[in-house]
Amino acid sequence: MRRTSVFFGLGGLVALALGWLAFPRVLYTRQQQPVAFQHKTHAAKAGTSGCADCHSLREDGSFTGIPKTAACAACHAERMGTSSTEAILVDNFVKPGRETPWLVYARQPANVRFSHAIHTKRAGILCTKCHADQGESDTVKVYEQNRISGYSRDIAGGSAFHSGRGPHGTRMSDCEGCHKERAVDVGCLGCHQ
Amino acid sequence: MKSTRRDLLAWTGGAVAGMFFTPVPWKVLSDVSIWTQNWPWIPQPPRGPVDVKETTCTLCPNACGLRVRMAGGAPVGVAGLPSHPISRGALCPLAFGAHQLNWHPARLRDVLHRGRKSSWDEAAAAFRKAMGEGPIAIIDGRNGRAASALYARFAAAHGGSYSAVRSPEEKALAPYEKWTGVPAAALGYDLENARTIVSFGAPLLDGWATPGRFTRLWSERAAASSDPELRVIQIEPEQSRTAAFAWKWIRVRPGSEAALASSIARVLLEERLVSARGPMPPDTAAQTGIDPEVIRQLARTIVERTPAVVIPAGENESVAALNVILGAVGARGGIIRRNSGADLQVCAGPPGPARAVVIDSAVSWDVTPNIQAEVFRFAAWHGDDTTADWLLPAPGFLEEKTDMPTPPASAIEHRAVVEPLLIPPPGVKSAADFLAEIEPSIPAKDSRSAAAKPREFHCELREWPQSSAAPAPPSWTADWTLPVLPPLSAKLFQESSLREAPAGRNV
Repeated sequence: MRRTSVFFGLGGLVALALGWLAFPRVLYTRQQQPVAFQHKTHAAKAGTSGCADCHSLREDGSFTGIPKTAACAACHAERMGTSSTEAILVDNFVKPGRETPWLVYARQPANVRFSHAIHTKRAGILCTKCHADQGESDTVKVYEQNRISGYSRDIAGGSAFHSGRGPHGTRMSDCEGCHKERAVDVGCLGCHQ
Repeated sequence: MKSTRRDLLAWTGGAVAGMFFTPVPWKVLSDVSIWTQNWPWIPQPPRGPVDVKETTCTLCPNACGLRVRMAGGAPVGVAGLPSHPISRGALCPLAFGAHQLNWHPARLRDVLHRGRKSSWDEAAAAFRKAMGEGPIAIIDGRNGRAASALYARFAAAHGGSYSAVRSPEEKALAPYEKWTGVPAAALGYDLENARTIVSFGAPLLDGWATPGRFTRLWSERAAASSDPELRVIQIEPEQSRTAAFAWKWIRVRPGSEAALASSIARVLLEERLVSARGPMPPDTAAQTGIDPEVIRQLARTIVERTPAVVIPAGENESVAALNVILGAVGARGGIIRRNSGADLQVCAGPPGPARAVVIDSAVSWDVTPNIQAEVFRFAAWHGDDTTADWLLPAPGFLEEKTDMPTPPASAIEHRAVVEPLLIPPPGVKSAADFLAEIEPSIPAKDSRSAAAKPREFHCELREWPQSSAAPAPPSWTADWTLPVLPPLSAKLFQESSLREAPAGRNV
């Protein structure tokens, strides 16, 4: 009986190790951004004063998202320095006039309707509430994509038990938590239209 | 230590039990559920700049104004255009989801010959052969477009016939065309200035004419008042939505609407309640199942608050004649002639004997010509049962540049040029393009309606119409409650209560 319990426990431990340590590495592919962008450097050298300098809202309230290559070309029409990142940006995207295929961590699926204008203007929520300190980072983090669902780990990853672990800010559970905290009930159709 | 079978079973049991304390089963279940919502063949709107384009709906002749939300150059949402002079921001339920119709599984993408896949070359060869063997007939779903003129010229050049399907609203105005020569397409109801509207079964609040025009008028001038500024009297056998919300509902025996109109006109003339004079209608009150005193009171009520206008559900000469007696024809608050009228309407008639029939994609799916001929039917969506020999894929919703004439029954002239917002799938061609390819230089011939020139519009009755006469059998069956749409969409459209009930429903 004791021997059986030992083997039972060993099996359990192996499953726990595989499930918690190996499974996430298998589930997600890891991809590097096409250009190693540095938010912090740009904020310091280009003198930007906030997120909205580059990630602005249009007059109708829609969000412009990531700036187009034309915006980068304003400074990077020619190489500024000798780094390999600079060469990739200028040679692969700016000079050919191609848009940079950024991997967007927080891109929501098509069945989600999200308005930056309502959250930042009306509710006064800071960008860092959802996007953490990306704006002050010197590196771009690895983009992790779920092999099964195809979603970014940032919007559908993390803890299955809603424990708050893992990358967070733009998952549905984060939306629900914040809405609950602020007592703003929008129902299902508030986001899923 | 030698491992036994029991050890292996214990280890496996522990692993299985332990797995339930990891994210594996729960996360896989969650991700698989997401995966099943995102099959590769489900169309996804493209990522890109969000924009709003204003355009006109082409699904039916009522031509409502649309605000189309575009993402990455593709329509992702449809809403009403508040600045549109006729629809004023309202839409039918089908139009709200119309941007998805082009991806409907019933979308026609291939040329079909009697159910088998064919090609445009084979269809063109068959059509040329048919043209050489006899006349052709072209059936248009919407007269007054640029394509209509092309159809008429093409048909005339080949000794064929051009016909156009009329909507129920346009059919209701047909008697005035017969009596005055002014095309029904040039006439409209001046409802905005009317104070009493008597509907003989017309589904005014259920999708009559341009959705939104009457509903807004009703909500502004008639709703929630026991003595409204606008009196709506609904004459109908059963309590439809319009009847339920009308100021007064008169239950009439099914099929006796013409008899009731004659009876009302008789009371108006007998009691000299109107200034007009005309032939005395026959006494048909007994056919209606309504107490003659109620009819007498109804006639008095109608003229109590003028201008008053009467609207039938379809072509009904007796009801039309009642408008003449009321002095509502050519008068403010009645039936008026628009300024430019039907300048772009082309002369249409019943389909003549033909070797081949071309049916435009705007024609309702259930319209079937009652003539023996090879049928070339253009359609954007497959409507299942069809007697057409050739099914030819046409551009879908907002996939072609076209024009929309003034909606039927409108008092305002409104012509729209509709720019395409989507690139049609390959292998799709409109009937006009097909005919233009068959004969690139169609001889120009003025086929416009001769009655389109402005002139006085008034109407006098020489004799009371024969209300009991059965209408002549049509050359085709046409029911606008079944538009040229996939069955599911047609069903949604019908069940939305925004369209006229099927003809047999009230009988």
